[in-house]
Amino acid sequence: MNVPISAYLTLSGALLFLGMLGVMRRRNPLMLLLSVELMLNAGNIVLVGFSREWNDPAGQIFALVVMVVAAAEVVIGLGLVVAVFRSRINLDVDEMSSMRG
Amino acid sequence: MGEKIAFAVAAVGILGFGIGVVFLKDAFRAAVALIGTLLSVSLLFVILSAPFVAAIQVIVYAGAIVVLFLFVIAYLGDRGVVPGPDRLERFQVFGWLALGGLGAFGAIAILGSSPGPAGEPPAVTDVGSPAAIGHAFLDSYLVPFEATSLVLLVAAVGAVLLAKRAVQLEGGR
Amino acid sequence: MVTSLAWIVLVAPLLGGVLLASWPGEPPHRVTRIIGLGSVLIAFLLAVTIFVILLTNGADDRSFTSSAFEWISIGGVHVDLAILVDPLSVMMMLIITGVGFLIHVFSTEYMEADSGFRRFFAYMNLFVFSMLLLVLAANFFFLIVGWAFVGLASYLLIGFWYDRPSAVAAAKKAFVINLIGDVGLVLAAVLILRTLGTLDYAQVFHAAGIAQMGGAGSAGGLVPGGGTALAICLLLFVGVAAKSAQIPLHTWLPDAMEGPTPVSALIHAATMVTAGVYLIVRTHSLFDLAPVAGHVVAVVGAITLLMAATVALQQLDIKRVLAWSTVSQIGYMIMAAGLGAYSAAMFHLMTHAFFKACLFLSAGIVIHALHDEQSLDRMGGLRRYLRVAYFGMGAGCLAIAGFPGFAAFFSKDDILATALDAGALGVFCWVIGIVGAFLTALYMFRLLFRAFFGPDPKGGYDPAPHPSTKWMAVPVIILGVLSIVSGWVQVPFGWTGISDWLAPVLADVPHPLEPSNAAEVLTMTFSTLVVLGGIGLAWWLFAADPQRRIRLAAMARGPREVMGAGYRLDEAYDDIFVDTSHELAGVLTTRVEPNGPDGLINGTVAVVRSTARVLSAAENGMVRTYAFAIVAGLGVAGIVLALVVAGAS
Repeated sequence: MNVPISAYLTLSGALLFLGMLGVMRRRNPLMLLLSVELMLNAGNIVLVGFSREWNDPAGQIFALVVMVVAAAEVVIGLGLVVAVFRSRINLDVDEMSSMRG
Repeated sequence: MGEKIAFAVAAVGILGFGIGVVFLKDAFRAAVALIGTLLSVSLLFVILSAPFVAAIQVIVYAGAIVVLFLFVIAYLGDRGVVPGPDRLERFQVFGWLALGGLGAFGAIAILGSSPGPAGEPPAVTDVGSPAAIGHAFLDSYLVPFEATSLVLLVAAVGAVLLAKRAVQLEGGR
Repeated sequence: MVTSLAWIVLVAPLLGGVLLASWPGEPPHRVTRIIGLGSVLIAFLLAVTIFVILLTNGADDRSFTSSAFEWISIGGVHVDLAILVDPLSVMMMLIITGVGFLIHVFSTEYMEADSGFRRFFAYMNLFVFSMLLLVLAANFFFLIVGWAFVGLASYLLIGFWYDRPSAVAAAKKAFVINLIGDVGLVLAAVLILRTLGTLDYAQVFHAAGIAQMGGAGSAGGLVPGGGTALAICLLLFVGVAAKSAQIPLHTWLPDAMEGPTPVSALIHAATMVTAGVYLIVRTHSLFDLAPVAGHVVAVVGAITLLMAATVALQQLDIKRVLAWSTVSQIGYMIMAAGLGAYSAAMFHLMTHAFFKACLFLSAGIVIHALHDEQSLDRMGGLRRYLRVAYFGMGAGCLAIAGFPGFAAFFSKDDILATALDAGALGVFCWVIGIVGAFLTALYMFRLLFRAFFGPDPKGGYDPAPHPSTKWMAVPVIILGVLSIVSGWVQVPFGWTGISDWLAPVLADVPHPLEPSNAAEVLTMTFSTLVVLGGIGLAWWLFAADPQRRIRLAAMARGPREVMGAGYRLDEAYDDIFVDTSHELAGVLTTRVEPNGPDGLINGTVAVVRSTARVLSAAENGMVRTYAFAIVAGLGVAGIVLALVVAGAS
C-alpha cells in the first residue's frame, strides 16, 4: 500500500500555507524571498506527484521550468535588495512603499 | 511500506524546516533551514520516481540559489535585522483568519474528494529517468526548453544592469 | 426626374454652406465667391429647369413627391425625409434661388472688405438651404425643421457683426420671438398628429378635404367649424405671426436691420418673412375648415398693415423705413390669405420679393457709397451721384406704391379686388388696404425725395459718394426691371398667370373667391387715385420745397413721436417680459442654484471624494497587505466554491 496522492496534496498545501504565512509576516525582503521559495517548492511537489500518478513526464518538465524561473527570480530579487541596501534605505519592506495611492 | 516511512521522514523534515524558515529571526539560520527544506523535498522527489528532478533540485536549488542567498546575507551583515516595531501588528488576526479560511478550503477540498481508485499501485516506470526527461524536452517540449534559456539570459542581463547601477551609485564606474 | 433635380436644388446650397463653414482658415475671396455663388446658381438653374418641365407637362401632372428614407418610425408615427414638388413649392423655389442668387452676387461686392467674408457666404448658403427645405418639405415635420433652421440662420446673420452689442441684442430678440412662433407651430403639429395620426401633407390635406365634405367621422375629429380645426389654425398662425412679423410679434424685424443690408434684403424682405404666408397657403385646407381662424388672420393682417405704415412714415433710418414697410406689405399678404385670396397673396409675395429686394439693395448701394451712413437727415440729392441706386429705388418705389403698370399695381389690386368678394370683413379689409396704399405711397416717396432729390445735406458729402461696381449694379438693375414687369403675369380683364399656375394646389378650396368686374374697376380707380394722391402729397412736403417739412415739423409732434417709436410696443414688452425675466434669473442665480443643483453636485463630489479616500487606504504601497489581500481573496473564494461543490454533490 503506498501513499495516496492526497497525502502529497496535503503536504503541499501545508507548505504553501507556511510560505504565505512567511510572506505576510516577514519584513526583511530577503526573508520574504525565502518564503516565496517555499511556495514554489510546494507547487513543484504537486507537479511531480501527479506526474507519477498519470505517468506523464510533463509534470516533471514543468517542475524543471519552475526551478529555472525561481532561479531567475532570485537573481533579480537579490540584485534589487542589494541596490536598495546601497541606497541607504532600511531593509524593511514596509518602508519600500513609495508606490502607494 | 518503505515508501510510507520515507514519506513520513520527508514530511517531517519539510514541515519542520519550513517552520524554521518562517519563524527564525536570524537571517542566516533561516537560510540554512531552507536548505533543510529543499533537501527534504528532494527526498520526496526520489520517492516519486523523479530522480533527475531530485538531482537538479539539490544542485540548482540547494546548491546555487541558497548559496546566492547566503552571499547576500553575509554581505549585508548585521543590517539584516529590521529595526522598529511592526506597524501592522494589530491586523495580525485578519491574516490568521485569511489563512484559516484557505486552510479550511483546502481541508474541505481534500476530504470532500473521493480518494480515487485505490487499486494497484502505479507501475514503476522510468518516467523520471534522465533519458525520458531528455526525450520529452527535445521532442514535445522544445519550446519551453528554449524559452527557459531565454529567461535565464534575461535574468543574467538584468543582474548585470542592476549591479552596474549599484556600482555607479557608490561612485564607481 | 423632376424630383431628382429637386433634391439637387435642395442639397447644392447645403454643400456650399458646409464646405465654406468647415474650410480651415480663410480661403481667397475668389474661392469663396465660386463656392457661394456657384451653389445657389446651380440651384436656380435647376429650379428653372423644373419649372419648364412642369410647364410642358399638363396641368394635371405637376405634383411629385419623393421620399429619401424613413426618418422616424415609432409606434404609429411615420415621418419620411420627403420633398414635394408642386406649383406652390416651385414658385417659392424660383423666388428663393433667383432673388437669392442676385443678392449673393450683390454681396460679393458689398462684403468685400469684411473679414468675415467666408463666414457670411457660409451662413447665406445655409439659409438658402433651410428656406428650400421649408418650402420643399412634404410633411409638417420637415417644415418645422426648415422653419427652425431658418430662424437659426436669421440669428446668425443678424448678429453677423458680433462685436456690436446692438447687433447681438437684435439677434437674440429675433430668435426669442421666433421661438414663440416655433412653439405654436409645434403644438399645431402635435394636435394634427393626435387628431389625424399623420404629419404627411398629402394625408392631412386629404383628410381635411373629406372633413370639408361633411364626412366628419372618417377624418377622426376634424369637423368644419369645430374646435380642433380652430385650435390647429390659430396655433399655426402663432408661428406665422412670429416668423412674418405681424402684430404683436413684429418687434424683432425693425431691430433685425442691424445685420448687413444683403441679409435684410434676402431674409427680412424677400424670403424668410414670407414663409408664414407660404404656410397659410399650403395649409389652406385646414384654414378652410375654421373660418373663424381665417377672420382672425385677416384682421391681424389688416391692423398690422395700417399700423406699420404709420410707423414707417416717421422713421429716419433708411433701412428702418424699409423694415416697417415690409411688415406692412406682409400684412397685405396675410390679410389676403386670411380672407381666402390665396393666389392673390402669393402673387403679392412674388412681386414684393422683387421690389423689396430691389429697394434694399439700392439702399445698400447708398449705404456703401456713403460709408455706412443710414440716416435720412444726412442724405439728399443722391440722384446726381448714384444713378443705379436712383433707378432701383425709383422703380421699387413706383412698384411698391402700386403705380399703374408697375408690379404691385397688379398684385395689390388683385388682393383688394378679391377681398371685395369676401363678405363684410372683405369690404372692411378693402378700405384698410386702400388707406394703406395711400400711406405706402406717401412714406416710400418721402424716402425717395428726401434721399435722392433736393440739395446735398448740410456739410456736403465727404468724401463724395462713389458709384458702385457692376457686381452691385447689375442685380439692382435686374431686380428693378423685375419690379416693373413682374406684375404683368396676372392682369385684370386679361390673363391670370398666377392663379392658373397655382390652380392644382388650390383646387379643393370650397368657396373660391373671384373678383367681379365691378370690383376690379372700383379697385383700380381708387388705388390709382390714392397712389397719385400719396405721391403728390410727398412731393409737396418733401421735394417741392425742402424747407417745408421743417416748418411743418411742429405739427402734431406728440402723436408723431409715438408713431415713430412703434407705438411704444417695444417698451411695453421690455417692462412686461424682459424685466421680469431678469428678476427671475437673478433670484434663480443667487438663491436657488447654490442650494439646489449646485448643492447636489457638490454633495456628490464630496461623497465620491470621501469614498475614494477610504478606498485608497487599501493602496498603501506595502507588499504585505497586498499579499494578505491575495490570500484573503483566495480563502473566501475557496470557501464559497467548496460549499457550493459540497452542496451540489
